[in-house]
Amino acid sequence: MELSLNEEQEIMKRNAQNFLKKECPTSLVRELAEDDEGFSPDLWRKMADLGWMGLILPFDYGGSEGDFLHLAVLLEEMGRACAPSWYFSTVVLGAQIILEIGTEEQKNRLLPPIASGESIGTLALLEPQSKYNLAKTDTASNKNGDDFFIDGVKLFVPDVHIADWMVCVTRGQGKNGGDPGLNLFFVETKSPGISTTLLKTISDDKLFEVKLDEVKVPAENRLGNEEQEAAQVQKILQRAALAKCAEMVGGAQMVLDMSVDYAKQRVQFKRPIGSFQAIQHHCANMLIDLDCSRYITYYAAWLLSEGIPCEKEMAMAKAFTSEAYIDVARLGQQVHGGTGLMEEHDMQMYFRNAKASALALGNATFQREIVAREMGL
Amino acid sequence: MDFRFSPEEEKFREEIRDFLDTSVTDELVEEVERGTEIGIGPQTWELMQRMGERGWLAPAFPKEYGGLGATRWQQFLLSDEMTYRRAYPLHLCGVGIVGPTLLQYGTDEQKQEYLTRIARGEIEFALGYTEPEAGSDLANLQVRAERKGDFYIINGQKVFNTGCHFSQYVWLAARTDPNVSKHKGISLMIADMKTPGITVRPLWVMDNDRTNEVFYDDVKVPVKNLIGEENRGFYYILTALAHERSFPTGDLRRTFEEFVEYVKEEGLGDDPLVRQSVAQLATELQALQLLAYRVTWLVENHTSPNWEAPMVKVYLTEFMWRFSNAATEIMGPYGQLRKGSKWVPLVGRIERLYRHAARRNISAGSSEIQRNTIATVGLKLPR
Ligand SMILES: Cc1cc2nc3c(=O)[nH]c(=O)nc-3n(C[C@H](O)[C@H](O)[C@H](O)COP(=O)(O)OP(=O)(O)OC[C@H]3O[C@@H](n4cnc5c(N)ncnc54)[C@H](O)[C@@H]3O)c2cc1C
Repeated sequence: MELSLNEEQEIMKRNAQNFLKKECPTSLVRELAEDDEGFSPDLWRKMADLGWMGLILPFDYGGSEGDFLHLAVLLEEMGRACAPSWYFSTVVLGAQIILEIGTEEQKNRLLPPIASGESIGTLALLEPQSKYNLAKTDTASNKNGDDFFIDGVKLFVPDVHIADWMVCVTRGQGKNGGDPGLNLFFVETKSPGISTTLLKTISDDKLFEVKLDEVKVPAENRLGNEEQEAAQVQKILQRAALAKCAEMVGGAQMVLDMSVDYAKQRVQFKRPIGSFQAIQHHCANMLIDLDCSRYITYYAAWLLSEGIPCEKEMAMAKAFTSEAYIDVARLGQQVHGGTGLMEEHDMQMYFRNAKASALALGNATFQREIVAREMGL
Repeated sequence: MDFRFSPEEEKFREEIRDFLDTSVTDELVEEVERGTEIGIGPQTWELMQRMGERGWLAPAFPKEYGGLGATRWQQFLLSDEMTYRRAYPLHLCGVGIVGPTLLQYGTDEQKQEYLTRIARGEIEFALGYTEPEAGSDLANLQVRAERKGDFYIINGQKVFNTGCHFSQYVWLAARTDPNVSKHKGISLMIADMKTPGITVRPLWVMDNDRTNEVFYDDVKVPVKNLIGEENRGFYYILTALAHERSFPTGDLRRTFEEFVEYVKEEGLGDDPLVRQSVAQLATELQALQLLAYRVTWLVENHTSPNWEAPMVKVYLTEFMWRFSNAATEIMGPYGQLRKGSKWVPLVGRIERLYRHAARRNISAGSSEIQRNTIATVGLKLPR
């Protein structure tokens, strides 16, 4: 066994950390959060120039064919920086689905512009009634001639305001009279019939309601040649959930680092507060949560990179890490006392981010159900 | 044992309810829920004054100072009903903290000057304790009060002094003797916020509340505004803190009830996990209520709840956290939506409670400090 990153991964980690410190300081993150638009084309361009957009895309589509571990390392650093979600929306949510179920022709058309940073994408998944359950997808896609017409309401769609396209999950009509599956489309966000409303969220992430009113999409934009099984699509999404875990690990690491620094430096009762057992136990608990999260996440990421089936392990990672990050953030808040609660302090950004991340892509309750199922219960 | 309220208390509660039924408007609740962003707004002042006319704002004050000489239980019922209607700001420092402390230690002149106006709903106080180097370690405070003739001259910086942007007075702790051990050189006094030399700078809290940094630059406070004896301020503050920590729970109970309704309406009540979680929260809320009764009962029987009030403080604020955390999980992706957003459940109260709870585990004395008190004072464990 070898539990450390290899040299290449270490270099990538260090470079990413340095880059984000310089180009994406929390002052910028805060500025973007306060602005409804919240996008920096300059930062996007620079990330693309580093080859991040194509990190896990095959060479054929302009990528560098990194494996999931590479992605995890990068996302961990993004989580540490509390970086905006555009990268995740485009590379993890949008591109991965296209890569998994797109036809060769679609991949050739859609993936290279992603790899080069020319297009920004996202995923329209959840709906008012569905919570996390794809089988409850209600948005209709009806075929008429060579086109489909999409009708429905999508919720919690990230970054659609800056995206050129979104992958849209809709209910199919049933193959050969069987149960309906899902039709997934590549939809241009400027298509007539699309209207969006920004939702206000705890983390200031840019999530939207997207209304689709008879939106016309050519048949060639249906990803894959047929309806997809909901369970199959969920499987792809579990990778995104695992990717979210890597972000959360980075966030939790940052919270622990800030808290330990603060505990050493803040003096009350003539002693650094880190000398009080109450504070030491908080920090120790944070570390336990963090290291469990890190290993449970990287274990699943490694299984995935090795091509070993890991449905259960991915779900375990998301269930565990979601709750651990929330706890770490709560304790970090506690260690910082009043200071960490002020908007001008970074601590509270991570606290709010933890809740949003835990709720994204299947919360702990949802994931534990998958674990139980995989265990044969 | 008898867990019932007396017939007179029940009657009092009915009267309060009737009054609140006609007095609490949506605009008032909206204003109160903006928290210390605005503090006490015009609607709230008006309600306070109408209550003051009946002696209901500070019912436990003696009649001569505008109260009813009411029992602790009446006071409890009043705050409970008021907070349940969300008609009550989080802290009314004048009524809850300054008033009772003045009754104990104030001069007749001070009682005349302030108590009646507090009871009539005319003035409010900010708490001026915390400083950059004096949070949990309050006795370490450095703001200096130097006596010159009939005045103290105040210099230095305070932080997290919440009510300073909307209160007429600040209940100020300052160092009068730097040459003795730190607990023994602190004095407590009342300063008029309009005095020249006071600068208030806002600090925004993650739960959208506002608190402040406050700078004192040669601020003159008349010596007659000193509370009790010079240099004994720290001990008066301990009394004042005990009053501060008995928080009413009506608003929390209300939000919990609304959440239970939400669970039913959304058809989540069939899910065994949700059932377990909601039942557990209901049980904890019940326990909290009983801990709070105990504190009131002790005070009514002239025992000061030195470690029992901290128990309520920790349990209350940590319950806020567990409740809002569980509820936002049960709401799934909707749990992250804020007030004012399309699709937000329960007007965003639970999402805000999640951010607010983190802060309540710190303000008015952190959970760690409360637990230290429970362990050393309550259980007499060695320090
Ligand atoms: C929103 C808000 C409003 C406030 N309003 C007011 C106000 O109106 N007036 C006012 O005067 N103050 C106010 N406060 C200040 C509040 O009372 C202090 O923030 C609180 O007492 C903690 O002090 P601190 O922030 O300096 O944290 P610190 O004292 O620095 O504590 C940091 C951490 O160390 C822990 N710690 C410290 N000492 C010990 C110990 N001996 N044993 C174990 N753990 C320890 C603490 O529990 C905490 O976890 C407010 C604070 C907030 C956040």
